Amino acid sequence: MDLFLNLAINGIATGMLIFLIACGLTLIFGLMDVLNFAHGGLFAWGAFVGVWAYGITQSFILSMLAAVIAGLLLGLITEYLIIKPVYGNHIQQILITLGFMLVLSELIKVVFGPNILAASKPPYLDGSWEFGDVTVIKYRALIIVVGLLLFLVIMAVLKFTKIGLIVRAGVMNKEMVQALGINIRLVFIGVFMVGSALAALGGALFAPSSGVAYAEMGMEFGIFAFIVVIIGGMGSVPGSLVAALLVGLSNGFMAYYYSDLAMAVTMILMFIVLIFRPEGLFRVSGVSNK
Amino acid sequence: MIKTIQKSTWIYIAVAFMLVLLPFFKDERWFLFLMIQVFTFGIFAMSYDLLLGYTGIVSFGHAMFFGLGAYSIGITLNFLESTFMNLFLGILLALVLGGIVAFFAGILTLRLKSHYYAMLTLALASLFLVLAEKWRSVTRGSDGFTFRIPELPGPLQDHRNLVVYMFCLVSMVLIFFGLRRLTESPLGKILVAIRENEGRVESLGFRIMPYKVIISVVSGVVASFAGVLYAISIRFVGTNVFGIDVTLDALLMTIIGGVGTLVGPIIGAGIIEFAHHYLSDLSDVHWIFERWIILFGIVYILAVIFFPAGIVGTLWHKLAKRKHKKQEMKQKTSDKLAS
Amino acid sequence: MTNTLLKLEQINTHIEQFHILHNVEFEVSPGEVTVLLGRNGAGKTTTLRTIMGLNNASNGTVTFKGEDITKLPPYHIAKKGIGYVPEDQGIFYGLTVGENMRVGMRKEDDATKERMEWVLELFPDLKKFWKKPGGQLSGGQKQMLSIARSYVNENDLLLIDEPSKGLAPVIVEKVIESIEKMKEKTTVVLVEQNFYMASRLGDRFYILDDGMTVHHGDMSALREDEELKRKYLGIA
Repeated sequence: MDLFLNLAINGIATGMLIFLIACGLTLIFGLMDVLNFAHGGLFAWGAFVGVWAYGITQSFILSMLAAVIAGLLLGLITEYLIIKPVYGNHIQQILITLGFMLVLSELIKVVFGPNILAASKPPYLDGSWEFGDVTVIKYRALIIVVGLLLFLVIMAVLKFTKIGLIVRAGVMNKEMVQALGINIRLVFIGVFMVGSALAALGGALFAPSSGVAYAEMGMEFGIFAFIVVIIGGMGSVPGSLVAALLVGLSNGFMAYYYSDLAMAVTMILMFIVLIFRPEGLFRVSGVSNK
Repeated sequence: MIKTIQKSTWIYIAVAFMLVLLPFFKDERWFLFLMIQVFTFGIFAMSYDLLLGYTGIVSFGHAMFFGLGAYSIGITLNFLESTFMNLFLGILLALVLGGIVAFFAGILTLRLKSHYYAMLTLALASLFLVLAEKWRSVTRGSDGFTFRIPELPGPLQDHRNLVVYMFCLVSMVLIFFGLRRLTESPLGKILVAIRENEGRVESLGFRIMPYKVIISVVSGVVASFAGVLYAISIRFVGTNVFGIDVTLDALLMTIIGGVGTLVGPIIGAGIIEFAHHYLSDLSDVHWIFERWIILFGIVYILAVIFFPAGIVGTLWHKLAKRKHKKQEMKQKTSDKLAS
Repeated sequence: MTNTLLKLEQINTHIEQFHILHNVEFEVSPGEVTVLLGRNGAGKTTTLRTIMGLNNASNGTVTFKGEDITKLPPYHIAKKGIGYVPEDQGIFYGLTVGENMRVGMRKEDDATKERMEWVLELFPDLKKFWKKPGGQLSGGQKQMLSIARSYVNENDLLLIDEPSKGLAPVIVEKVIESIEKMKEKTTVVLVEQNFYMASRLGDRFYILDDGMTVHHGDMSALREDEELKRKYLGIA
């Protein structure tokens, strides 16, 4: 039983990290019909910036903040240089964002050096709590709490604020939003920046948990995030949370029992969803997915 | 029209002939090896171009065919005796497997929208990667394995690299002309029409799926053959043949060379293989050359934005424009004369 | 008739490679209801979309309140004071009726709130369904919501695309009544196939055929002109 709970907690923590990448991705897709294959690169950048900032400031909070700021800036740059020229052309979007992903990963090696960086937790987040047989690693609990909080904040913003309404309306019918007098491009840039910042924060949270930051983690987690977006339904934030937890959990359990098949299980999960329910588990009305 | 085709064909044949003579002037081992890489990746990139350029499909999993070919030949020659009969058998196995996998992958995925397709092909390729890692009794897992290729008779054995060079070159030339023939056939025309406007082709009464599946099978078979050549040239197979890098290489070569031109991907393969070689050498001069992929990434991004037609495509456009202008001029002067 | 609110001069619009509008000429006077008539595919919807900036004119100018708005993006044009009710109603299906209205409000000040009260008096049904998702409304309710949403802002011009399409006669009557009330406040350009509705509301008319303006004049004149009606509108 304790093993089951521990694996579950691990899986949920991984799922939360994937969710942080996926929620930006899903909104960007829903809103602007742009699939950004470079999104995972922000995750890796967040991790490196976080580790670097922690090394300088020795403050966990400041390191997270640094990663968020880096994410916002990189998001702005990405939107302006990479996405803007290829609106409306899926093939070009796939090609160019994939190329940018390569550049982002390699740039990490240029800026932070080609080696894997060691990442450490602050002392107060190290260690674990014991509840009878169950051991809860503090840092994993933190990841779960942060992930849940962010999910609630995002949902509240989408549900109750005017800007959230506009984003949701834009996902459903962006032409009409424009015709109602709203500059959808500004909204989009904002969503793009926030989405990038969330991915970067995810990376910054991940590095201390795994103990390392490496450039390829962007590609690795980026692929997970895509699968999650497809399973959850493009454009749906709750969908990505559910799918991210699903992927995180299945990965966590598989990694323990048959570690080599973990990735395969995730892929098969996506296959099944795509074949039987190509619009994903949570469908957003108005988003085409043919 | 027929005249221009003949002209370009002569040019290609002349270039191929020069490539045949090349190793007699420059026969260092590293150079031959690099050229063999260019030929194998040229073939692989052409097969990619067939998908991307003629049907507008972006596959992230093309490496699965490449790997399938490499493993087919490797396993055959490793488990059976290393004879020409078995070499032939291995190649046949590779082509058949490539075709079958491409057929089922196509039926499964081709009806999906582009990014779903990209993701699904990526997923499929990673399943193959897992298979190669796990089926250790046959594949030796991530260590990979070396294998022997059959000995050539008499004096040829001393020039084994040269023979492989010629074999790869001839394969590339034949495949190039074969694929060009295919794309200029009515089938090719329909494919281009599908790429331009799927809905319209459908409304004209063509069913699209069979065409897409056919092209995906052809592409898969050719890619698998490229994998065979690759494995033969290095006499080793490891799980890296299923890696995403292999697909990315093909993508880069196709984009830089010119999408939908067939000859472009070959040129792209040449540029990237040679640039890789020389830029890596330059890393002593400046560390940035160690990270040569950055330079390529940037070139690639600029190419997608500014020269989506690639090197060859852009040249073709220019030539076509000039010709058009010339004809217009002629027309004008003759009009003037007539009036 | 001395001042014009909206003026289209030599408007040509392409959608992909198709040339849809050919030198469309079109004028709207303030305070009037101008009806755009014509067969299916004549270019009526494209004309409205070109005014809104949703389709770009390849040449020609659109002038609104004396200002060239041809090249402005749609949101900018909307802010100049043009409300738009598209042919497909443009309801956000996943948002509730109230949320749909709120997205449509350009300002959230007292004047807009007052106006909202007035709009809800016009369409009391909407109040009943305030919390219902837009996708679950009936066709008539969707049309009401779409029109109501365009009324909330203080617009100088409303573009309404075929409001009677697919609606039961009772509902059509309701829509007509609401537009009649709105007429007192703003100018309206109405695309309509339903000649009954067009003739009840219209002051002036334009007929489009094959992307060209072929006729225009006072609505009263068209009511009598059987020949014209038969030729372009297919009404015997």
